[in-house]
Amino acid sequence: MEKVAISLAGVEQHRAHFRLGPIDLDIPEGYVTAIIGPNGSGKSSTFRLLLDLSKPDAGQMSILGHPVGQGDDRSWKRQIGYLQEESDYLDNSIRGSEKATFIRKWYAEWDVNLYQDLLRRFEVDDSIKLGKMSKGMRRKFELALVIAHKPKLLLLDEPSSGLDPIAWRSMIDILHRYMEPGDRTILMASHIIDEVRRLADYIVFMARGQILGKYEKDELFERWHVLYVPAANDSDRGKLLTMPGVIEVELAGVGMYRIVSEDAPQTEEALQAAQFTIGSRQAMQLDEILQVLMQRGVYA
Amino acid sequence: MWLPIHLNENSAEPMYHQIEVQLRALIVSGQLTEGTLLPSIREMAQMLKCSVITVRRVYQDLETEGLLRTRQGTGTFVASVQEEDLGRQRTASVIEAVEAAVEAGMRVQLTRQEMEHIMTRVLDDRWKENG
Repeated sequence: MEKVAISLAGVEQHRAHFRLGPIDLDIPEGYVTAIIGPNGSGKSSTFRLLLDLSKPDAGQMSILGHPVGQGDDRSWKRQIGYLQEESDYLDNSIRGSEKATFIRKWYAEWDVNLYQDLLRRFEVDDSIKLGKMSKGMRRKFELALVIAHKPKLLLLDEPSSGLDPIAWRSMIDILHRYMEPGDRTILMASHIIDEVRRLADYIVFMARGQILGKYEKDELFERWHVLYVPAANDSDRGKLLTMPGVIEVELAGVGMYRIVSEDAPQTEEALQAAQFTIGSRQAMQLDEILQVLMQRGVYA
Repeated sequence: MWLPIHLNENSAEPMYHQIEVQLRALIVSGQLTEGTLLPSIREMAQMLKCSVITVRRVYQDLETEGLLRTRQGTGTFVASVQEEDLGRQRTASVIEAVEAAVEAGMRVQLTRQEMEHIMTRVLDDRWKENG
């Protein structure tokens, strides 16, 4: 079996206006896992719990084999790079280089050449005060800062927020290069569909504090399809609904049914066995899949 | 390194299969010669926007077929292709493309006869050009 970089078991957190969990989730080592979900679904809260920045009300977590919330955490936290969602405004008055000097003290593995290289590739000038940097430049600077100590695990909370398209592309490239050694892991939260498409190996859907599912990316796109099926009469709808994988059936124009399937190969087989022809098929996009999963969550 | 591999996400064929067919065709057609170093698994995944899980599967399958070999620490290379494999595998990607064309025809509900007619016409045109 594959090694697990992060594991959450029965993790819950109760707040006056938000309830997270119970969350059971394993993040495999050596892969990019992206959590996607609407704002307020609990992505950032999960990151904070993993880093012991807030405490769960129930459950166990481990990171890189170490239990979270017990004993001296300095040794394993040195192997993590965490990019938080919002920049820390307390840093506004210091220069980038000053922040870097402070950060590198805590990381024995800090690689000054890599840091300089990242700044160059991102076109960031670290002599500028952090508060004076543009939103995009500051984000790029912070990203360089969390990668420069070559962590085994990167936790990225909405990494691309504020990045222009050019900077976004270099971020994607830098993260791919980061993963090249093969034993590194990224867990990222994102609601940028294209970012997830380009980076992720696994996709976790999250909404309202719950995990809706974890999928291998390519398998997800292979299985979740919309099929258009010409059908003669209304009684066919019931027949279609009972087929394996079928989630939704609706009339799309005259005599044409639109079928949402979470297991297209099986659905197609059943359709063919029942003498239906398949008019066309279309892979679903992540946002459409998320929407279907969320609707199902409501009625489940 | 850029490779002419194109994925159709709306196809019923799984992604690993699409990549496998096209990569195999590149090797057996001689476009990728023996000893060529292929992109790393992560680079290939980035290029094709698919997961490393899929690319690893493709590399493993083609290695089992003897078309690729992996050297620990250096990467994945194109192996030598046996003559008898060439003919058989050359046609595999063509069959795939024709199947996609037939599927396009079925979507607009062409009859078998109409499709045969189109196929003949395209072939005739092409051979006239070249002839």
